[in-house]
Amino acid sequence: MANNDKINKLIHDARAPLNRISMNAELIKLVLENDMPKDKALVALDQIINSCQQCSDSLQTISDLDSVK
Amino acid sequence: MLNILLVDDDSEFSDVVCHIVEFLGHNINTAANLAEAQEWFVNNTFDHVFLDFMLPDGSGLHLVEHLQSIGKTPKITLISGHPSVKGKLAEMCAPNVGHLVKPLQREDIERVLSPKKNTEKKKTTPTINKHFGTLIGESPIMQQLYTMIERVANTNANVMLMGESGAGKEVVAQAIHNASKCEGPLVATNCGALSKELIGSELFGHEKGAFTGAIARKEGVFEQATIGTLFLDEVTEMPIDMQPNLLRVLETKKVTRVGGNKELPVDCRVISATNRSLTDLAQNNIIREDIYFRLAVFPIDIPSLRDRKEDIELLAKAFLEQLNDENDTDFKWQASQLKELESYEWPGNVRELRHAIHRAFIMSDPKGKVITLPENLESPFSRVNKQTQANQVSAGQTIEEVEKELIHATLDKVQGNKTLAAQMLGISTKTLYNRLNAYGGIGEYN
Repeated sequence: MANNDKINKLIHDARAPLNRISMNAELIKLVLENDMPKDKALVALDQIINSCQQCSDSLQTISDLDSVK
Repeated sequence: MLNILLVDDDSEFSDVVCHIVEFLGHNINTAANLAEAQEWFVNNTFDHVFLDFMLPDGSGLHLVEHLQSIGKTPKITLISGHPSVKGKLAEMCAPNVGHLVKPLQREDIERVLSPKKNTEKKKTTPTINKHFGTLIGESPIMQQLYTMIERVANTNANVMLMGESGAGKEVVAQAIHNASKCEGPLVATNCGALSKELIGSELFGHEKGAFTGAIARKEGVFEQATIGTLFLDEVTEMPIDMQPNLLRVLETKKVTRVGGNKELPVDCRVISATNRSLTDLAQNNIIREDIYFRLAVFPIDIPSLRDRKEDIELLAKAFLEQLNDENDTDFKWQASQLKELESYEWPGNVRELRHAIHRAFIMSDPKGKVITLPENLESPFSRVNKQTQANQVSAGQTIEEVEKELIHATLDKVQGNKTLAAQMLGISTKTLYNRLNAYGGIGEYN
C-alpha cells in the first residue's frame, strides 16, 4: 500500500513538468503568432528543456522502484 | 474581462498560465495553497477559479466547500492529473464546478472562460450531414453520386467531372480526395486561367534559368500532388497544342520540368473537370480524343441544382448556419422562404444559391432573427442567360415561328420603329408590314 502511494506521488511529480512543458509551448505559440518580444519565448524554451530533464528523472525513479520490486 | 484566481503550488506553471490568461484579456491572481486562496476571498470577488486538485495543505475540494459555506459561487475549474476526479465532481452535483485534465492546452482555458460561444457552436454544427466531409444533399440523384464516389475512391482511376458551372465540381473533387484517404495533398489548378506561356511551367514545373524570370526551380502541380490528388479544373480550356505534353505525362506517368532533362515519377490521381457537354467536346475538337480517354476513365456527371430541388432546403440551412457561426448571429429560415428558394430555377446552381443567401444575409436586419430575401432572386447573369435562351433557335421550330420571333425581337430592340427594324432585318418596310399583318402582331407596334 505504502509502495502504491509512493508510485502515485512519483507519477504526480512526473506529470507536473509535462504540464509546464505544455503551457510553455502554448506561450511560445502566442509569442510567435502575435509578434511579441522573443525573450519571453526563449525563457519558455529554457523552462521546457529543464522540465524535460525533470520528467526524465522522475520516470527513472519510477523505473528504479519497479526493478527493486 | 474576468477576475480569475489560480490556485496551484507549481509556481512555474502558475507564471506561464498568468501570461496566457492576461494575453486573453483577463485579470489573474495566484495562490500557492488553500490558506492563501481563502485569504484572497476575504476582501475580493472572483468570477472564475482555476483550482489544482492536490494542494500542499489539502484537496482543492476543501476550497469548493469553503466557498459554498461563505456563500460565494464563482465558476470553478478543478485541474487534476487524473480523470477519476470527474466522478467525485459528479457526486458534488455543483453546477458551477467544472473539470480539466492536465496537461492543459490554451484552447481548454479559452473554452472554460467563454463557454457560451462554444456551446452555441456545438448546437449548430452537427445538424446537417456532410457526405465525405463536403457534400450536402440526400436526394436520390445525390445518393447515386455518393455511391460512385465511394466506388472510384477505392481505385486509382482518373476521374472526369462534368456538370454545369456552379454545380460543385471542386467540392466533388475534394470528396473523392477525402474518401480515397490518400496521404498526399489535393492540389488544384485552373487550366483556363493560365496563359499559354505559363501552363507548362505550372503543370510540370521548371528548372532555374529555364526561361526569363525563372529565378528559382519550381515544382509543377504533378509533383506537388505526389501520393495525393491533382484537380485540373476547366481542363477543356487548355490550349490544344499543350495537350500532347499532358498526354505524355498521363501515359508515361513521368514528368520532365521545363528546361530540365530528368524524368520524375508521377504518382497521383488526376481529377479533371469541365462544364462543357460531351457532344460539345466531341463535335468541336476541344479536347483530343486520346486525352479524353486518359482523363475520363471514370466520368461523373454532377447534377444541376434544379435536378435536385429537394436538397435546396438542406443547402440553404447549411449556408445560413455557416454564416450564423461566422458572424455570431442567429438567423432562421421561414417555411415560405424555403418554398420560394425551391421554386426558383437556379441556373447558376449551388454557387448562385450560396451567393443569393449571402446577399440576403447582409441585407437582413442584424437585430432581427428572420432573414430577408430580395423580391427578385434572379441574378443579372441569369436574366441575360434567360434572354439568350429565349432567343435561341431549336430543332422542331418552323421557319415562320423563328421569323416571327426575330421580327419581334428586332422591333423590341428599336422600340417599335419599323423603318429601323426593316433596315436591320435587311427587308423593305413594306415586307415588314406584310409579315406583321400575316402574323397578326401589327397592333402591338402601332
